[in-house]
Amino acid sequence: MQPGPGGGAAAGNARHPMKRRVPLSEPSLGDPHQLFHDTSSAHGPGSYVAHRVPGGLGYSSPLQPGFLDDPMSNMAVAYGSSLAAHGKELVDKNIDRFIPVTKLKYYFAVDTVYVGKKLGLLVFPYLHQDWEVQYQQDMPVAPRFDINAPDLYIPAMAFITYILVAGLALGTQDRFSPDLLGLQASSALAWLTVEVLAILLSLYLVTVNTDLTTIDLLAFSGYKYVGMIGGVVTGLLFGKTGYYVVLSWCCVAIFVFMIRTLRLKILSEVAAEGVLVRGARNQLRMYLTMAIAAAQPLFMYWLTFHLVR
Amino acid sequence: MAFTLYSLLQAALLCVNAIAVLHEERFLKNIGWGTDQGIGGFGEEPGIKSQLMNLIRSVRTVMRVPLIIVNSIAIVLLLLFG
Repeated sequence: MQPGPGGGAAAGNARHPMKRRVPLSEPSLGDPHQLFHDTSSAHGPGSYVAHRVPGGLGYSSPLQPGFLDDPMSNMAVAYGSSLAAHGKELVDKNIDRFIPVTKLKYYFAVDTVYVGKKLGLLVFPYLHQDWEVQYQQDMPVAPRFDINAPDLYIPAMAFITYILVAGLALGTQDRFSPDLLGLQASSALAWLTVEVLAILLSLYLVTVNTDLTTIDLLAFSGYKYVGMIGGVVTGLLFGKTGYYVVLSWCCVAIFVFMIRTLRLKILSEVAAEGVLVRGARNQLRMYLTMAIAAAQPLFMYWLTFHLVR
Repeated sequence: MAFTLYSLLQAALLCVNAIAVLHEERFLKNIGWGTDQGIGGFGEEPGIKSQLMNLIRSVRTVMRVPLIIVNSIAIVLLLLFG
């Protein structure tokens, strides 16, 4: 039988069977279950047809037919949708004032290869040679192309996974309740804020001229959640010994990772290459780098030891 | 371990209050942290002490009025909700 508008288009373009277009202009008619207009590429092959989620999740009237026959509700729907469009416009215009969206987008420009390599680097940073971030006309290269660039995807995902794993750990000890999950999340977030503020304060006091932004510091502080997750999961599987082994491995790895990454950003160029530069200023900066790196294992232990009994 | 964002806010408010009540003439001058005793010329190195003094002075100048507002709100909320 007729497979719908997609099939009609295919029959019309018999010479181009691979470019069967699902017409985007009539999703509500031919495809009531499509969740959103996929406008990312103009001609997708039939794979976009696979985005239909059966089960009535579409926007267009999941209610009984005949509901929209009443003119009053028609007007209400139109008014509501115009309000929503107006609100969306307002938000789009003003969002850039509060959250630097374009800057944030840089930190999420990752791909699978980068994530894999970075996770490997976080757990085993001993063989990596070149820690310098590559630049491209004064702008740092996106994380997708440079493994040394900080990103926010791994810290965000690791944070959420940490909360879930904490809930799991509490559940296995019969100590779980849903508000404890929120408490864990809030507590970890508060410690993260404290850490970033302390680092910012100490960077200000030591007058370091660096191009480390706040979001960079947030990213670096978020990398320790990867080790924490590993520790807690091993603790769940193999008991306290496994937890301590994996946690100490990850602590040392994060310590080395942070020192090697921050050394290039905080110390002056000469000192960063390993030449021993005398002078109170460089010494202070070295102490600062070591302090930041040493705070990571402390936090890793503090935030996880109560989860593994 | 009940370290929530709310307690962080409270702690931050208390810390900023503590910085704001340091009196310039009666206290800071006596321990040599006054703002006119600081700057040692055009050197590249402001040094930690002068950075700290700058920080204290800026916090006291900038946060004076917002602190009044935030403190009043905190007092009202604590009276109402404990």
